[in-house]
Amino acid sequence: MNVWRLAWRVSQHEPRSFWAGWSGFVLFFTFPVVNGWLVGRGFDALSHGQPGEAYRYALVMVVCEVLRMATIHFGAIQWTQAWVHMQTLLRANLLAAQLASGGPEAGQPVGSAGAALTHFRDDAEDVAMFVDGLVDVSAGLVFTVLAAFVLGSIDTGATAVLALPLGGVALATRALDSRIKRYRSADRAATAAVSGLLGDVMAAATTIKVNAAIEPIMLRMNGLVDHRRHTAVRDRVLDDGVQAFSQGAADVGLGLVLLVSASAIAAGSFGVGDLAVFTAYMGWLSFLPRMVGRALARRKQAGVAFERMSGLVADEQVANTVTARSLPISPRQQLAMQGATPPERILVPRVPLRRLTVRSLSARFPSGAGIESISFVVERGSFTVVTGPIAAGKTTLLRALLGLAHQAENSGEVLWNDTVVLDRAAFLVPPNAAFLPQVPQLISDSVHDNIALGSARLEQVLRSLDLAVVGADIDDMPDGIDTMIGPRGLRLSGGQRQRVATARALVHEPELLILDDVSSALDVETELALWTGLADAGMTVIAVSHRAIAFDRADQVLELVAGRLR
Amino acid sequence: MDTRSPARWRALMALVRPDAARWAALSALLAASSALSLAGPLVIRQVVDRARTGATTAALANLAVVYLLIAAATGVIAVIVAWAATITAWRTTNQIRLRMTRHVLGLDHEFHRRHTPGELIQRVDGDVTSVSDFLGRVVPRAVGAGFLVVGMLIVLAVLDLGLALGAFAYVLLAVAVVVRGRHRAVTEASDEMGSYARLYGGIEERLTAAEDLRANGAGAHALNRFVEESGQALHSSVRRERAFLRMWWAVQGSVAAGVSVSLAVGAALVAADAISVGTAFLLLQYVLLLGRPLEDIVQQLETVQKANGAMVRVIDLLGVQPAIADHGTIAPPSGPLSVNFDHIWFSYGDDHPVLQNIDLHIAAGRSVGIVGRTGSGKTTASRLILRLVEATEGTLSLGGVPIADIPLDELRRRVALIPQEVELFAGTVRDNVTLFDDEPSDDEVAAALRLAGLSTLVDGGIHRPLGPGGAGVSAGEAQLLALARVWLRRPDLVVLDEATARIDPGTEALLDHAVAQLMRGRTTLIIAHRLSTLRRVDEIIVFDHGRVVEQGDRDELAGSDGSRFHRLLELALDEDVAS
Repeated sequence: MNVWRLAWRVSQHEPRSFWAGWSGFVLFFTFPVVNGWLVGRGFDALSHGQPGEAYRYALVMVVCEVLRMATIHFGAIQWTQAWVHMQTLLRANLLAAQLASGGPEAGQPVGSAGAALTHFRDDAEDVAMFVDGLVDVSAGLVFTVLAAFVLGSIDTGATAVLALPLGGVALATRALDSRIKRYRSADRAATAAVSGLLGDVMAAATTIKVNAAIEPIMLRMNGLVDHRRHTAVRDRVLDDGVQAFSQGAADVGLGLVLLVSASAIAAGSFGVGDLAVFTAYMGWLSFLPRMVGRALARRKQAGVAFERMSGLVADEQVANTVTARSLPISPRQQLAMQGATPPERILVPRVPLRRLTVRSLSARFPSGAGIESISFVVERGSFTVVTGPIAAGKTTLLRALLGLAHQAENSGEVLWNDTVVLDRAAFLVPPNAAFLPQVPQLISDSVHDNIALGSARLEQVLRSLDLAVVGADIDDMPDGIDTMIGPRGLRLSGGQRQRVATARALVHEPELLILDDVSSALDVETELALWTGLADAGMTVIAVSHRAIAFDRADQVLELVAGRLR
Repeated sequence: MDTRSPARWRALMALVRPDAARWAALSALLAASSALSLAGPLVIRQVVDRARTGATTAALANLAVVYLLIAAATGVIAVIVAWAATITAWRTTNQIRLRMTRHVLGLDHEFHRRHTPGELIQRVDGDVTSVSDFLGRVVPRAVGAGFLVVGMLIVLAVLDLGLALGAFAYVLLAVAVVVRGRHRAVTEASDEMGSYARLYGGIEERLTAAEDLRANGAGAHALNRFVEESGQALHSSVRRERAFLRMWWAVQGSVAAGVSVSLAVGAALVAADAISVGTAFLLLQYVLLLGRPLEDIVQQLETVQKANGAMVRVIDLLGVQPAIADHGTIAPPSGPLSVNFDHIWFSYGDDHPVLQNIDLHIAAGRSVGIVGRTGSGKTTASRLILRLVEATEGTLSLGGVPIADIPLDELRRRVALIPQEVELFAGTVRDNVTLFDDEPSDDEVAAALRLAGLSTLVDGGIHRPLGPGGAGVSAGEAQLLALARVWLRRPDLVVLDEATARIDPGTEALLDHAVAQLMRGRTTLIIAHRLSTLRRVDEIIVFDHGRVVEQGDRDELAGSDGSRFHRLLELALDEDVAS
C-alpha cells in the first residue's frame, strides 16, 4: 500500500481549493523570512544608536504583517473547503461500497453500524490530517530554504551546526514510527468499543430501562472508557513527546549557535542584529522538523486508516477508497450544475420473468449453519411459501438467492428465464426483484421518501401503499405521505413499519417479490388482504409464512428443516 | 449566549472538582516549565551585554552551556506536562461520559424516538471528547501562558518598572482582544458540530438499513442524501472558519504589533540610555516568547470553540428532564399485580388520540390476551403499563396504587416487557441474557435459556460472543432470548408485545410450556396477532381504533356467535388447524 499515492489522489479530488489553499500557506511562510531580516536590521540600528532607522524598520514590519495575515485569510478559507472535500470523497466511497447492490463497487458489509462509524469519522479525518501535514511540510520547506540562505550569509558555521538538532528531530520520529502506529490502532480499537456499546445502548434504551439493567450497563461502560483512557494517554504522550523534542531542538539550536559563535561574538563580528535574526528565525525553523515529524506520524496513522477503510470497499482493495467521483458539495459546484440534480436512482433494465430456477443453492456459515443444496422452480404469477422451524435456514435461503448471504460460503446457481444470473446482488433489485427483510429498517425521512427512495412517481407510491394495506393508516396521519417517521421509523408502530417497508418493495412492480416473514407483524385480516391484493396484481411471490391462510393460497410450499428441503 | 457563559463555567467547574488535587499538581509543573522558559532569554541578555563590555570567549561559552541545559530541561518537563494533563483530562471527562450515558438512558421513550443512536453517540462521546481535548490540551497551555505572563512582568519590574507597566498594558490589551473575538465564534462552532452530528447520524442510519437499501438498489439515492448533508457540513465549516479568522486577525495583530513596538520602544530607551542593549533584546525575546503560547492558543482556539459548542450541548442534554417524574413512594403489595385503567386517554402530542376513554380491570394473577388490528392502540397500552409514556387523562393503577406513586425502580423490578423487536448487544450470549449483570450464575442463565427453548445456544457455550447486530441469531431466536431475559428477573407482571410473532408454529408449541410457566404466579398480558398464542389465556380484550370494544372470558367469547373474537377465530380457523 502506497500511502503517498493514495493521499495524492485524495488531495486531487478537488484540485482547485487544494492548490489555492496550498499557495496561500506557502506564501504565508515567506513573510517571516522578511520580517526576521527586518528585526535584525532594526537591532543593528538600535545598537549603533540610530533610533530613527529602527523606527522605519518597525513600520515596514507592520506592513508585512498585514500582508501576511491577508494571505492566510484567503488560504485558510480555501483549505477548509479542501479539507471537507477530501473527507467527503473517502466517506462517499465507503458508503457507496456498503450500499451498492452487487456489481464491481460492492464491499463486504460491516457488522455494527456504530463501530463502522469510526471509519467514516476518524479514519477519513486521519487521511485528511496527513495531507494537511504535507502542506505544512512544503510551506516549512520554503521557509527553511530561504532562511538558510539568509543565515548562511551571516555565519556559515553557526548555520551548519543548526542541522544537528533539527535533523535529530526527524530521526527520533522515524525511530518511534512503529510504536506510533501500534498505540494508535490500540486507541482506535478502544474508541470503537466505546462507541459500539454506546450505539447498542442508545438503540436499546427502552429495553435497558424496562429490564432494570442500567447499573450493569454502566459498569461495562466504565470498564471500556477506563481502558480507552489508558490507550489515549499512551498515544498522546508519544505524540506530544515528539513535538516537545522538536520544540526543544530549536532552543538547543540557539544554544549551539552561541557556543559555536562565542569567539565571533566576543570579537564583535557577530553583532546583536545577527543574533536577532537567528532568534527570530529559530521559532520558525523548528517548524519544519516538527511538521516533518508530525507528517511522518500522520503517515503512519493514515496507513492504519487506509488499512481499516479498505475492509469496507470492494475486494478489500485500498485503491477503491480513493476512486474519483463527482460530489458537488460546495456552492460553486452546485451553481456550475445549474440546478441539474444527479440521478436519484438508475433502475436496472427490466427483464420480464417467465420462470425462476434455483439449482443446488448452498450457503454455509463458518459456524456450520446455513442451507444445503436447495433446488426449486418458480413460475410467473405463482405464490411460493417457505416455512420451517426456527433456525431452519429460511432467511438464509432468501438471502442466498438474492446474493446477500455475504458472510457465508455460497455455491449453486439461479436461472432467470433459463439464463444463469452471474451477479445476483446486482440483477435481483427493482424492477426485477424486490426484497422485504425480516426486520426491515427505515430511515428518518418522510413516508414518501422511504418508499420511493428517489425514483418513483407519486401514483406508484400511492398504489403500493394501498397494496401493502397501509394506505388508510397513512391517510390518517396529519401530513399524509409527507409525514416524517422519525429515526429508524420509530414514530410508526411495528406493524406500520413492516407494511411501509412492504410498500417500498412493491413500488416498482417487481417481477419477483420476496418477503421474509411479513406475517409476524400483521394480523390475520391484514395478511389476508395483502395476499389477495398481490394475487390480483398478478405478482410472482416467494414468502416466508407460518399461516394457513398463506398455505391455502400457495402454489407450492417449501418446508425447510435444518437447512434442507423436506 | 453571554448569559449562558457563567452557567457553562459553573457546570465545567463542577465536573472538574472531583479531580482538583490532580489539577493542582499539574499547575505546579506548569509553573516550573514557565520559570525555565523565562530563564533562557535572561542568559542571552547576559551574553549581549557582556560581549559589549569585552567578555572572554570562555565566559560566553559557559553561558551558552547554561542555556543548553535550560533548553533540555524545558523539553523534559513538557512531556511530563502532556502526560499529566491527558490522564487528568480523560479521568474527568470519563465521569462526564458516564453521567451523560446514565442521564440519556433515564430519558423518555419519546426522546429516543426523536434521536438516532448515531446522534446520541456523537453527543455523549464526540462532544465530550471535544471537552476532553479542551481540558487536556488548551487548559494546560493557557495556564502555562498565565504563569509566563506573571513571571515576565516580575522579571521586567526588577529591571525597569516602566517597562513592566508597559508590558502589562500590552498583555491586557492582547487578552481583551482575544476574549472579545472568542465569543463571536461560539454559535458557528456549535452549528458546525450540529451539522456533523446530522451527517454522521445519517451515515449510521443508512449503514443500519444497508441490507434494505442494497436489496432495493437505493445506493445512489442514499449517496445523494449524503452529498446533500456533506454540503451543509461544508457550508457550516466555512462559516466557522470565517468566524475563527476574525479572531485570528486580532491575536496575530497584537503579536505583530508587540514585536514592532518592542523594537521601537527598545530603540528609544537605549538611545536615552535608560536600558542596556541586552535588555532591549530581552524585551524582543519576551514578546516572541509570548507569541508562541499565544499562537498555540490561536491554533487551540479551534478546540476551544468546539469544546464551547460541545459544552453548550452537553449542558442542554443534561438539562433535558424526563417527563416521567420519579416521585413515587408507595410499593404495591407483593405478589402478582392487578391492572386498572380508569378512563384513560392518550395521544402523542397531536390531535389524534391513540387511546380513547379506556376503562379496564384485570385482576391479579390473571392472564389476558389483547387482540386488535395494528394501530388500534395495543402497544400504547403496554407502554402505559410500563410507564414509558404517561396517560394524557385518567389514572392507571397497578396493585391498586396509581402508577405515578410507585418508585420507578420498584416498577421496573416488578413489571417486565418482552417486545416484538429485540435489540442485541455486541457481547457474549450471557451478556445478552443478563444485560451485562454479573450476578446471575452461569447455571441460572443456562437454565433460563433452556426454558426459552434455546438449548442450542447453551450447548455452544454461553461465553461465546454474539455477533454485532445479532449475526448468528435469527429474529425468532432473539425473541426467545428476550423471554430468557425476563425469566431471570422473575417479575410480578409480564407484558408480551407480539413477543412470539417471529417464531414458527412448531417452535411455538414447544414454547407453550415455557410461557405457561411464565404465567404461573404472575399477571400476564399477551398482545398477539396469532390467535393460537392465546389458547391458554383466561380473558380476551379486543381493541379497535383506540377503544376497548370487547372484554370477557376467553372460552365464553370464543363460544359466542356474535363476538368479535369469535369472528376473528373463524377467520383464522384454518390457521389453528395448520399449527
